[in-house]
Amino acid sequence: MASRVLTRPPALRSPAFRSIGRSVLLTLPMALWALLMFTPSFRQPGRNLHIGALLVILFMTALFFLMMRTGKTYRWRRYFFVALGLLFPVGFIASLVAVRGTMSIPIERMVSGDTPFCYMVIPMLILPAAVTRTIIFPGSILPTASNPHSIAIMIGLWLALTLVVGKAWCSYVCFFGGIEEGFAALPKRMKIRKLDPRLRLVPWAILLFVVVLSAALFEPVYCMWLCPFKTVTEYPAVHSVTTAIQMGIFITLFAGLVVVLPYLTKKRTQCAFFCPFGAFQSLFNKINLFEIRFDREKCVDCTLCQTSCPTMALSAESIREGKTLLNCMKCGACVDSCKKSAAVWHLKGTKVALKPERARLLFLYGAWAMATMFGGSILANSISTIIGFLPLR
Amino acid sequence: MLGLATGPICLASCGPVVLPWMLVQPQRVRSHVRQLSIFLGARLAGYLAFAAVIWLAGIALARSGTARSWIMGGVQVLLAVGLLIYAAAWPHARCGFVRRRKNDLVQIDAASTATPKPRPTGAIALGFLTGINLCPPFLVAGVRAAQLPTLAAALMFFAVFFVGTAVWFMPFLSLGVVRRTPSFLTVARMAAVLLACWYGFTGGSLLIEKAIYG
Repeated sequence: MASRVLTRPPALRSPAFRSIGRSVLLTLPMALWALLMFTPSFRQPGRNLHIGALLVILFMTALFFLMMRTGKTYRWRRYFFVALGLLFPVGFIASLVAVRGTMSIPIERMVSGDTPFCYMVIPMLILPAAVTRTIIFPGSILPTASNPHSIAIMIGLWLALTLVVGKAWCSYVCFFGGIEEGFAALPKRMKIRKLDPRLRLVPWAILLFVVVLSAALFEPVYCMWLCPFKTVTEYPAVHSVTTAIQMGIFITLFAGLVVVLPYLTKKRTQCAFFCPFGAFQSLFNKINLFEIRFDREKCVDCTLCQTSCPTMALSAESIREGKTLLNCMKCGACVDSCKKSAAVWHLKGTKVALKPERARLLFLYGAWAMATMFGGSILANSISTIIGFLPLR
Repeated sequence: MLGLATGPICLASCGPVVLPWMLVQPQRVRSHVRQLSIFLGARLAGYLAFAAVIWLAGIALARSGTARSWIMGGVQVLLAVGLLIYAAAWPHARCGFVRRRKNDLVQIDAASTATPKPRPTGAIALGFLTGINLCPPFLVAGVRAAQLPTLAAALMFFAVFFVGTAVWFMPFLSLGVVRRTPSFLTVARMAAVLLACWYGFTGGSLLIEKAIYG
């Protein structure tokens, strides 16, 4: 019975891929997981936080149900991801302003280790830590009362989640990618169609650049000079020409890579052509169990998958070989767009296209659990912040 | 002992230049040994030239912030130019940095075996420039050399200091066994351009700052 459902022809996949009852049954574990994740929020005082948590439970459960019901992944994941990208800065900026009164961080606060740890810095830590046993980030290694997002906790969390889903981190957890995905979703058609495939290599060059230079300068070079998201999170206080230049770079990169280019190309340009952490994360695709493969018997080389891929993780050669490139984020856009059901989810070690829906389910349980745990808490916090600003009694 | 002890800092200081440059070399350990030897030889020449100047000029030069800034700024701008030329010249074998061949428009997309054999010019230029790049351990050594009684002693001091730091460069030879693909070479060249921009920015801003404020 199960295998019959799993191998339905594409015409039946949309809009109702599964029955409501079956979809509810498959969604139940995720609903329970979401409830479990947000139980501590209901124990805390504060009506706004309760509302935020409740909305997130409903939101995440509803999206997962729709994924089960329609068989589409990318379409529903995108709602969560864009919400995460747009709401993360709201909660983050509000907490910064509440604690410090400003988004900028003065140098003395930075030196005292009062900076929340960001996973972007992880590749830059490796060389200095290996050679000199120095952590080149001005944060605390263990959590403190003022800074619960310590280095040890964030690295542990990142490693655990990355081992489960590989580079899917970039499309289910990373709170930066959602903003550009939102801008990429706005236009109906691409304004710029031709992109040089060598652009895919730029993140690797930036990774090499920031890793080597961070070891030379003993500072996280990406955070100091290149992070576009400093514009909407936390930036060094502008008090000199150097810091003004830094701010100029942050704003330019944000405007170009996160707003304008995604709008023109319908691609996640920052993630695909700039982010060094994404390049580093790609390496974990090698050891991860889940991947997207192409059933060559069904594929008609229509290149719909290639066009729909938001990170240019497909090339004509890779499709001919039935694989994606190393930088695939497992967002599911190619699978959703394939009219012949040739693009399939795949569990390594099994035969391609044998039971793709089972592979998808296994992957989605891991990825969505991670998204609920990590992104869901960010969403709940941001929603409660927004409710706090509303003139409600 | 000073060279050995401060080697990681020297490595970190010169690594941004050496790494992308070594990555675009052909995939042969012998070639890497040759290129690294030339690089280190040129670096030694830079060390000795600096030792001679510092001994002749006296300790005041080593302690002079203004002179240091001018030298550092100038060297960093030159390093930027060197890296840019190297990154731009590599696939086309036009400049003196790579050996010319008969059909010398060697495309980066060609197989890795088709990468042109490098000339020593690049290694000499980059080695000499990193040799006179004033990193902190280098300045410590400079102050010590300026206090020595004879020029020969200062040169000997810097030569031994060089040997201590050179040991730390040996791991770069392992890059000779890493497989070169067209993508790999493109990444190395892009990184060289980015590093050139960085050196150009830091060196240029240092020079501008000194020109304005003295």
